[in-house]
Amino acid sequence: MIDKRNNDIDVDIPNDAYDTGKDIPTFRAYLIAIVRDSTGKVINVHKQKSHSPTANFIGLLLPLSWFNNTGSSYTITNVASGTCSYKPGIGSSPPGIAYPSTANNYPVYIVTIQVGSGSQPNPSSAITLAAPISNGSGSGQLLYYPASLPASVIVSGSSAYFYISQEYTNQSGATITVTEVGIILQLTLADSSASSTPNCGNILIWYDVLSSSVSIPNGGSLTLYYTFTVNP
Amino acid sequence: MVAPDAVSEEDIDKLIIPDDLPDEPTFKAYIEAKVYDKEGHLIQHHRQPMRSLTQYFLALMSIPLVGTYNGSSSNQAQSLLVNILGLPSQISAYQYHAANILWDWSIVLGSGTQSFSPTLTNLAAPISNGTGAGNLYYGSLGVFYTATSITATTTVTNYSASAITITEIGLRATIYIQYQNLSAMYVYNTYSSLLSYDTFSTPISLPAGGLAAFQITLTFTG
Repeated sequence: MIDKRNNDIDVDIPNDAYDTGKDIPTFRAYLIAIVRDSTGKVINVHKQKSHSPTANFIGLLLPLSWFNNTGSSYTITNVASGTCSYKPGIGSSPPGIAYPSTANNYPVYIVTIQVGSGSQPNPSSAITLAAPISNGSGSGQLLYYPASLPASVIVSGSSAYFYISQEYTNQSGATITVTEVGIILQLTLADSSASSTPNCGNILIWYDVLSSSVSIPNGGSLTLYYTFTVNP
Repeated sequence: MVAPDAVSEEDIDKLIIPDDLPDEPTFKAYIEAKVYDKEGHLIQHHRQPMRSLTQYFLALMSIPLVGTYNGSSSNQAQSLLVNILGLPSQISAYQYHAANILWDWSIVLGSGTQSFSPTLTNLAAPISNGTGAGNLYYGSLGVFYTATSITATTTVTNYSASAITITEIGLRATIYIQYQNLSAMYVYNTYSSLLSYDTFSTPISLPAGGLAAFQITLTFTG
């Protein structure tokens, strides 16, 4: 009888049971932009809460139980609108997120924190920036330096955080204005025999429209920091 | 927007440190518990915000954020996986074979209490899975998601002869790295981390023959 009840219980709590006004955030993300002029002087500091993991992020964070319970795969969409079926599993055949090995490698890594000059209304469904600013020193371009990865998590009392950062310089000859930012991940899946290695390509994993734009003067630079924290 | 008066590197360092910006909370997490007696009557419905994600949650979420590798030409794992989750920097795999990583979650319950730390690795007094005295029988994990949230649920049944009081709850990850070893045998290694830890503001008492449904929701409001 108990076993039957176990199956019958509806564990989905109605939304109207939530007293959302009293909740305490347990996780936050921040986006910080530092703008310097051509002499290296800081001329603008922008800090805002970061709001928007994309659907790709949610899919990649899902635990194995979801895939096992539903028998479904999760569709990852890359910046070129190509799709990739993600369905990890225990066993030699299901391709999962590739991990470094002494044998074959299919690196999964942050490509860049991309900046853009557009905006779009529904970040969770975004698959690319609205108007990416390309890497270069030509008109309308910024020179991208490599993203810096976190070395560790910094713990302070009950709080902990890590951050990633990237620097850009403007050698375009004119001021460039940034209005949107996104984290781009290169995703390759691999099974343990390396017989199936779907390359999902570059995927947008996190996206923010700036609450106010930042302008980088010619010869100046921009440094972005994404800070992810628990229990701030 | 912060006034553009932070000109020193020290000031910039301070900006990176999390603080409180005066607008809406961005991310929220909830814990729910519904308790039923042996007749199936709902006898307690408890809900509270989750306050206590750990550093291991941050390290796990770094995988979809920055990947598993140190870079495009690296064959080493990125630092958070090694330094925080204790994963190997590199797997010794057979010839041309590859390795991959995946994870599952579980909800764990306990009867103790302890002060929270982001480095906690276990509950103070975990309640074992079973049907004997002091044990709870854990059901499998249910998971559903929306565009901006992931919810994990599990039911536990008290088959023992006495009521069991639940005072703490955690979300645990089991991480699998699978590959073909140097003997060309398929194997996987497992690693376990506590992703969250909370004590209930009101203890949950589960009567003999009763069951309870626990739910943890992580909401990323876009």
